[in-house]
Amino acid sequence: MQENSPSGVIYQLKDVAKTRSSNGYSFGLRVPSLRIQRGEKIALIGESGCGKSTLLDMLAFILQPSDIGNFSFHADSNTAVDIGLAWRKHRRNRLAALRKAHMGYVMQTGGLLPYLNIYDNINLSRQMLGMKDDGTVETLARELGLTRHLKKLPDALSTGERQRVAIGRALAHRPAIIIADEPTASVDPFAAEKIMSLFIGMVEERNITVIVASHAWRHIKQLGLRRLAHHTRRSKDGRMTETVVSG
Amino acid sequence: MLRQKRQTLALASRDYFHEWQISICFVLALAAVLGPMLVLFGLKFGIVGTMIDELVENPAKREIRPVGSGHYDRVWIDSLRKRDDVAFIVPRIRSIASTLSVSSEQAGRILQFEVIPSAKGDPLLDPQLEPPSGMDRVVLSASAAKKLQVSAGDHIEGSLQRRFRGRKERVAMDLQVAAVAPATGFRRDGLFASVMLVEALEDFRDGHAVPALGWEGSSAVQARSYTGFRLYARSIYDVAALSDSFDRSGIEVRTQAADIESVRRMDNTLSAIYWAIALIGLGGFSLSLGASLWANVDRKRKELSVLRLVGFRTGDIILFPVVQGLYTAVFGWALACGIYLAAAWSINFMLAPQLETAQKICRLLPEHYAIALAITAGASILAAILAGIRAARVEPSEGLREI
Repeated sequence: MQENSPSGVIYQLKDVAKTRSSNGYSFGLRVPSLRIQRGEKIALIGESGCGKSTLLDMLAFILQPSDIGNFSFHADSNTAVDIGLAWRKHRRNRLAALRKAHMGYVMQTGGLLPYLNIYDNINLSRQMLGMKDDGTVETLARELGLTRHLKKLPDALSTGERQRVAIGRALAHRPAIIIADEPTASVDPFAAEKIMSLFIGMVEERNITVIVASHAWRHIKQLGLRRLAHHTRRSKDGRMTETVVSG
Repeated sequence: MLRQKRQTLALASRDYFHEWQISICFVLALAAVLGPMLVLFGLKFGIVGTMIDELVENPAKREIRPVGSGHYDRVWIDSLRKRDDVAFIVPRIRSIASTLSVSSEQAGRILQFEVIPSAKGDPLLDPQLEPPSGMDRVVLSASAAKKLQVSAGDHIEGSLQRRFRGRKERVAMDLQVAAVAPATGFRRDGLFASVMLVEALEDFRDGHAVPALGWEGSSAVQARSYTGFRLYARSIYDVAALSDSFDRSGIEVRTQAADIESVRRMDNTLSAIYWAIALIGLGGFSLSLGASLWANVDRKRKELSVLRLVGFRTGDIILFPVVQGLYTAVFGWALACGIYLAAAWSINFMLAPQLETAQKICRLLPEHYAIALAITAGASILAAILAGIRAARVEPSEGLREI
């Protein structure tokens, strides 16, 4: 842990849990304590079904935790938002506003809007925030090798290209944090490694906090990410699964 | 806030036109229900409207005629004239006395015309033209004017004869054509004259003196009574009540009330049928519109979740399908109007030979189009809001993983 980071803490979670059950199977994710510093690069490694996505969704405020001891988000050193309170008060628009201003999210399968061209997809968050066209989109496109695709619709691009567009969209409005859920899972391993190192490099360059979930550690171990510790327990009949994450 | 509303509007529009094939399907589905409903309503409105117009515009439908001859005095007739539901009344004289021989310089022969007592406001005459007045200004029916080859302003000569104290007597008078009545009101040969002139003709035939015209005879008439009257109700809807009131005072009258009643019954029947079909149609229409908008929102759950993820507010997520629903409503309505106009034109064209000019079997007023648009837009907004709320309730994390 980089306790001495001058930029301070961005996420602070204590006793946050999400439990779900369906068809007699129950699943639980428990976070006794989690602290993420500004500028940190976090990796969440594990097989699918272990709760990675659940944790990421809670950190992106798109999934309401079942129990919240303490959950605060510090977009910058001056603003602290009590996420637990916002959920309890049903302030979904407040959470949406936080995402809009401070967060980028890279989904497993792009999540691009099919009716917008690549330029407009990358520019989506910037436009929502009323940010001027200052060449940011073009710069990102150049770094991501997308310049010749800017006028195309997502349909015309390969899966790997679409993931790069998604990375561009997450970076374009200079968020405080980017959350990426298996950003390279749908791409072939060779391309995956390239995209991942490009992504981490760009995030590092811009000093953005990043949390990446992946099932393959070997892709990212040389990129210098902090691996979040977690262990999963299953009951004997396999009907109960509980994952505990801390760090 | 406003920026985000604008952006939602732009995104919803981009999406709607990007998926133009599916949008066209929605528009067609809507027009397929709305178009026939407009045609149906146009037919109902046009058919009943034409019949009612015909009733309202044809003064003959408002006429109330006494059956046989009676004795009516001036005071009684004047009291009827004061009634609100009476548009026009003049007394009538014995029919045997009400003919006149007429000739003109232009036509070579003498013609026998029916003399009709008239006055200002006679529904059979054109209100723009001069009414008959005094002892010498008369109005000719269109066919009478044609036979005499005269028009307004020309002079004609009227003559009549009587057998008085065993001798045949003939008098002649110079008359001027004040106007020619429209052919639609009165089709026979006729001469509309003031009540005063009609009375003079009767007095002469009865052997009385008419000092105003210098005709001699026995002493002038003291208490005059009339054998009938020409009465027109204010509107077709007053005919039944007036007729009842005559029946109660023992005067048998003949009216076109049965015709009027049958049109009203037809209107009621057609309205009932129309509303039955319209309600079923509206039900089907709402269901089809609601179902398609609902399905559309369901289909777009992932995309809406993406918008939620990048920070769109709940209201904007609901606005998204509402905008698209409105597009479908407006385009579907426009197409339905097109379908209606084409159908109405064909129907009216096919039936034109059987109709009088300007009559339409199938027609709608501008407000009907507006009402159709308002209902369609209202139903679309409602369905889209319901579907949008459902979409907004889904946790974005669920929508995102659904693939």
